[in-house]
Amino acid sequence: MATGETAVLRQPALPRWHFGRQTARAIGLLAVRELRLAVRTPAYLVPNLIVPIFFYFVTLGSLEQFANQSGLTNFEGFLLPMALLFAVQGGSAGLNMVTDIESGYFDKLLLTPASRIALLVGAMSADFFRIMVQALVVLVVAVATGLNFETGIVGALALVLLASSFGLAYSGIGFAIALKTGNAQATQSMWFLTMPLMFMTTLFAPKEALAGWLEVAATVNPMTYILDGMRALSMRGWVVEDIGPAVVAIACLGAVSISLAFLALRGRLQ
Amino acid sequence: MPAIETEQLRREFKGGIVAVDGVNLAVDEGEVFAFLGPNGAGKTTTVRMLTTLLRPTSGRAYVAGFDVTREQHAVRRSIGVALQEAGLDALATGRELLELQGRLFGMNAGASRARAVELLELVGLTDAADRQVKTYSGGMKRRLDLASALVHRPRLLFLDEPTEGLDPASRQAVWAEVQRLNREMGMTVFLTTHYLEEADRLAGRLAIIDHGRIVAEGTPEALKAAVGADVVTVAVHRERVEDARSLLAKTDGLRDIRSDDAGLTLFVENGTQAVAQVVRLLDSAGVPVGPVAVSRPSLDEVFLKATGSRLEGAETGGGTENGNR
Repeated sequence: MATGETAVLRQPALPRWHFGRQTARAIGLLAVRELRLAVRTPAYLVPNLIVPIFFYFVTLGSLEQFANQSGLTNFEGFLLPMALLFAVQGGSAGLNMVTDIESGYFDKLLLTPASRIALLVGAMSADFFRIMVQALVVLVVAVATGLNFETGIVGALALVLLASSFGLAYSGIGFAIALKTGNAQATQSMWFLTMPLMFMTTLFAPKEALAGWLEVAATVNPMTYILDGMRALSMRGWVVEDIGPAVVAIACLGAVSISLAFLALRGRLQ
Repeated sequence: MPAIETEQLRREFKGGIVAVDGVNLAVDEGEVFAFLGPNGAGKTTTVRMLTTLLRPTSGRAYVAGFDVTREQHAVRRSIGVALQEAGLDALATGRELLELQGRLFGMNAGASRARAVELLELVGLTDAADRQVKTYSGGMKRRLDLASALVHRPRLLFLDEPTEGLDPASRQAVWAEVQRLNREMGMTVFLTTHYLEEADRLAGRLAIIDHGRIVAEGTPEALKAAVGADVVTVAVHRERVEDARSLLAKTDGLRDIRSDDAGLTLFVENGTQAVAQVVRLLDSAGVPVGPVAVSRPSLDEVFLKATGSRLEGAETGGGTENGNR
């Protein structure tokens, strides 16, 4: 009955090719908005920088001599990936989205013609950019205080990219929880995931130095491979056997977490 | 050609809760249509389905001629929506929020800037334009939300509880704005409310929804006329309500009688005559009589007749500020 012609209200549908460009535009607009939010909530940003830098210097100060005595000469290079991992997984992933869901602004965005995908991709792109800046700051601080980089500036940038890609893959979990629950506490509780993932690895010491059970845990933990890949860049050189598995581990984690985020988005729209 | 049309629209949530149960609606272009009902009656669920935020479990709905499930994109382009919570980005300024809204609707930077200026002026927020939304009062947030619903010049406006929680002055301002949009720009308005006065003041036509079903529909005047009788209310002590009810069943010209804890409501042909008789009947049986009043039927009586209970939280003649949702 009503499918027919509403002379006044009906507008011509957009041509098909328009959608790709519209979506890209919406992603850009929403990413800029997210970054503006990030700048206006320094309470989220600052800890993400202070925590990794603090851990880097404290661990360096307390363990460097030990490490050197047991034959690990470039302890700065060994620790930098740890600091970067802390920098890229500061717990604010998805929190802005939860705030939007709770306030109703997310609905407001859903009511625009912007594609649903743009809502998530826009937020994720902004997060990726923010993470990358955080990692860069940490790297610059480490280099300024005497870190010698094995693979030069290209390696340093590759390391930042690798760390940020991990950060993005990891943030997918935050977005998935945010979209699934719409609840800030639940989203923040994602921080607990960090514990086993980060600490049951070769984070503070090489695998040979770990206790037996921890060595087993570290072997099955994908984070160990990501750390190894990053350490290759910071202290060993372009070792493909180490970097390759890191890239694969990040890609797998990202594929799972980002799929979960999109599924959660779809679930929210039913 | 209706601006909104639904056929047996239904939404069931997990756990088998049916929020909207076979709603049929037709709203014409240029109308102000109110959806009146208590909290939890299914108003918001209906609006969310009509605005593409929620999929119907079954049934169909067309908004601006487009199917809400198959032509969502076109529906969104045709409608402006201000939701119950005034969903806004607290950290953005009013201007930023409107500009982003415009750009997401496809305007270029210049056009969306100009439109934001125009709308800020329209809703009286020019002075607050560059302050963050978190510093706005409740009334200012509503006005900004309304402005953001108008950015793309929709022909059809959805307002979900537009004055919930507002002080009387802000409420009047929103009412005036809605009437102006309808009169001057010919905008079709679909609003939900649980305030009788709001429905009475704004709506050309209204539907009463209760437990997910439409129980009455028409112009406020027609609905009141359909009650077809004067209304006599008698306050009686809770424990004597049943006694009083059987006594008053003998009232001359009685069309209908309803009771609740506070007393009885009688629908009678002639109110003034009935009052004397009511008092006499109760008095002779020794039932203490509280305040008695006669009135022409209001929407509250329409609601009472249609649903068997008074509209929660709404005293006759005006809204309350109890803030429940």
